[in-house]
Amino acid sequence: MPKKIKKIKKKTTPKFQSFQDTILNLQKYWSKQGCVIVQPYDMEVGAGTFHPATTLRSLGTKPWKVAYVQPSRRPTDGRYGDNPNRLQHYYQFQVLIKPSPKEIKKLYLNSLSVIGINHNDHDIRFVEDDWESPTLGAAGLGWEVWCDGMEITQFTYFQQMAGMQCKPVSVELTYGLERICMFTQQKKNVFDLLWNNQGIEYREVFHQAEKEFSAYNFEYANTENLFKIFDMLEMEAKSLIEKKISLPAYDQCLKASHIFNILDARGVISVAQRAEYIGRIRDITKGAAEIWVNSQK
Amino acid sequence: MAEFFLELFSEEIPPKLQKNARDFLLENFKQIFKEKNLKFKSSNSYSTPNRLIILFEGLDKEIKEKSEEIRGPNINAPEKALEGFLRSNQITKNEIYKKNTEKGEFYFFKKQEKTVNTFDLLEKNVPLILDKISWKKSMKWNDFEMEWGRPLKSILSIFDNKKLSFKFYHLESSNFTFVDKEFEDKKKIFKNFSSYNDYFNKRGIIIDQNYRKKLIEKQLQKISERKNVNLEINVKLLNEVVDLVDQPHILSCKFDQKFLEIPEEILIITMQHHQKYFHTFDQKGNITNEFFVVANVKDNKGFIKIGNERVVDARLSDASFFWEKNKSQNLIKQISKLKSINYFEGLGSYFDKVQRMRKLGALISDEMLLSKEKIELLTSICKIDLISDIVNEFPELQGVIGGYFASSQGFDKDISLAISEHYLPTGLESKVPKKPFSIALALTDKIDTLVGFFGVNQKPTSSKDPYALRRSALGIIRLLLENKKEFKITDLINYSISLYRDQGFNFPNEKVQDELSTFLIERLKFYMKQKDIRYDIVEASIDSFSIDQASQMYSKALALNRVIIKDIGNDIILSYKRASNILENELKNKDLDLSNTTDPGIFKNEYEKNLYKKIHELRKYFTSINKDEDYYVTLGNLANAKPTISDFFDNVIVNDEDHTIKKNRLELLQMLCKTFDNYINFASIESIK
Repeated sequence: MPKKIKKIKKKTTPKFQSFQDTILNLQKYWSKQGCVIVQPYDMEVGAGTFHPATTLRSLGTKPWKVAYVQPSRRPTDGRYGDNPNRLQHYYQFQVLIKPSPKEIKKLYLNSLSVIGINHNDHDIRFVEDDWESPTLGAAGLGWEVWCDGMEITQFTYFQQMAGMQCKPVSVELTYGLERICMFTQQKKNVFDLLWNNQGIEYREVFHQAEKEFSAYNFEYANTENLFKIFDMLEMEAKSLIEKKISLPAYDQCLKASHIFNILDARGVISVAQRAEYIGRIRDITKGAAEIWVNSQK
Repeated sequence: MAEFFLELFSEEIPPKLQKNARDFLLENFKQIFKEKNLKFKSSNSYSTPNRLIILFEGLDKEIKEKSEEIRGPNINAPEKALEGFLRSNQITKNEIYKKNTEKGEFYFFKKQEKTVNTFDLLEKNVPLILDKISWKKSMKWNDFEMEWGRPLKSILSIFDNKKLSFKFYHLESSNFTFVDKEFEDKKKIFKNFSSYNDYFNKRGIIIDQNYRKKLIEKQLQKISERKNVNLEINVKLLNEVVDLVDQPHILSCKFDQKFLEIPEEILIITMQHHQKYFHTFDQKGNITNEFFVVANVKDNKGFIKIGNERVVDARLSDASFFWEKNKSQNLIKQISKLKSINYFEGLGSYFDKVQRMRKLGALISDEMLLSKEKIELLTSICKIDLISDIVNEFPELQGVIGGYFASSQGFDKDISLAISEHYLPTGLESKVPKKPFSIALALTDKIDTLVGFFGVNQKPTSSKDPYALRRSALGIIRLLLENKKEFKITDLINYSISLYRDQGFNFPNEKVQDELSTFLIERLKFYMKQKDIRYDIVEASIDSFSIDQASQMYSKALALNRVIIKDIGNDIILSYKRASNILENELKNKDLDLSNTTDPGIFKNEYEKNLYKKIHELRKYFTSINKDEDYYVTLGNLANAKPTISDFFDNVIVNDEDHTIKKNRLELLQMLCKTFDNYINFASIESIK
């Protein structure tokens, strides 16, 4: 009896888009849509929204299209690199378009296909998510975009920023890059992500940082000094606002906001104090943003 | 007759807003058709996340507006008023006339009978109705002025197969819509709803949300039977899911079995609240790792199933990481860590709170004859879960998680149950703790909370109750009433105030005791109303008893409410009223000084004696009853006095010429009323016959 010849299929590892290619492809795509591609803001921020290219530029009447990647820091989310899904430092890819274009959903869905997510093969859902940032005095309406049950993007129409109504309205897209790549690369652990195509993993790039910054945020940060620094930054911001220098004033707000986040992670801010600190940041942010808007007229 | 069909195409509108918009639009169209006397055969509203549809079938094509006389301004009114009147009715001065009315002389205009086309009426009114819509939350986009739930893209509006043309902000109505909700490239013209519905139906898109709901339910049932698992469909979740999809496809998925070791509540919250999945149970009622996803497209390549499974695994591995870390952290050793969490400005830390709860709980345990040691232990550890990562992740599980910690660390079952239930009840529908330790702990926590917040003047206002104090107060009421427990609540409040004071928290509010008692009474009233107890009975009970007798008050009101419409109730009220009406009249007119007794020596007839005897019988009954009073027996006894009382009134004239006799008889009546009032103050209760 002739033996059946089993065809041995060579298991080809599917070609995944690396972390860095995902960023590059998004940049290329949004560049083609006419966005200004700027670089990350050189300061610790909690989210891509804090970059002045979003916060400040979403105010006023001038049209604006921008895209950039932004490292974001959330000290409370640190897990010493032990948790497969949590990081105190991660990347967001941010797009802001003012005024919000009619075909933004189409633009967004097409952007997914350049990073390996064909919307016809997946269950893409727009799930209600109203966004609010008390420190920025900002609010917006939109969705979190789900791909097969996983949140991959925040999609927000800004209604208010720094306490001011947005007119025209900007639309903001915030891609969670690690999550998206965990999805496209089918990884269960963020540290296993392929950073590039030469075998460099996310672990190699950031694991030590996660460990050390978690320790700093939760154990070593000198809270007494940080409280003092916060006060000094607030003073500096106020004095700059008085002198009507908007961008440096806004920088102080960002710094103060990050200091507050570390103090919060240390658990040294009580519930009542929390509201007070947030209010202080919101006030200086509002001051800085108002001068900026006036400088645009 | 013809069809009116409106489709509003937008970006994805959240489920709750969809329902509001459907109802609002349908209602407003109905209203205007009613106003204009326009008849129709049927009306419907449908929605998908992107499409909002209003449909009227069999609508009159025209209406005859009857001739009528329309009043204009007063003849002395300024010229401008008249001009406005002429303009708004599109008439000239020749067509009006003056006429005298009761209110003075006015201009009038005789409107002739006229035929109005529904088509014209719709063109004029559709944009007005669209503009009236009130969203719970609405937004602006681009540089437009329009506000809508999410960006509105197009308006398809058809009457009698013809396009209605109107403007609505920057949009113009049309007879087409976008067929692809994502890409908005292809437009398609429709002439009526049925061709529209067929078109989408053929493409698997179900426009009718009710049909979608049935379909999802049926498929879920079918698939769970096939998988041999049970499904408790959560109605809220189902309704939400129905409005999140337009072409539902059910996927059967699994998460890793190892996660079944985490508390069930965590699994359910993750699947139900976070992911909007349907979880399942096995035949024994244990949760299984099978769950169902309602996807919005067919999973042709199997990506969607795998993707959803991975999301749940990732979320659960997060949860399990924390659960494993937290569950063995010794509860007792962590008590002092509570010092680091602030409870509320002016009320100390959670450590301070549990110290107070220890003492207040001890007092309550005395009353309930419970072990004091146990309640002290319980109060000390009940808040520890607040410092765990897992409660930080799942704040809605506070308490429940504490209960799991306690049971995994070997504490008695009644202890872990009490911790798990101590935030209950959380509303009218929520479960009420029934076990003694659970009741004691839940009560202790709520009293400490209410006293503290009232102490620092953080009382709820008519519109705002950020600390859910109404819920806490209603919790106390339900704990008492539904367990038939009576506590000297005012004493507990006072003791709690003193515990705060002992810790050095001096309240700016000095009227906590009074205000809080009133607040609790208000919640009790609310509760009684929810139980459909008649308003006058509620008021009479509140009048007759204090919050320290809440359980008794409620049981009496409930019993009376049940019999009030029956003969028993009627007999009681009528008997009582006959006596109290005479008393009231007499007391109003003269300065009568009635004593609390009557003099049987000057009774003139049997009827007086019999009534006197009856009163004594009743009084004896009232002094003989104790805590286990059967309120229906009491009410029966009162009703049974009716023949004696009727005989008295039918045969005795209270208003005797002899003043002494009259006074004596009035005193007899007063005794009667006061005896009845032992049950409840009947004075303000009305008979319905």
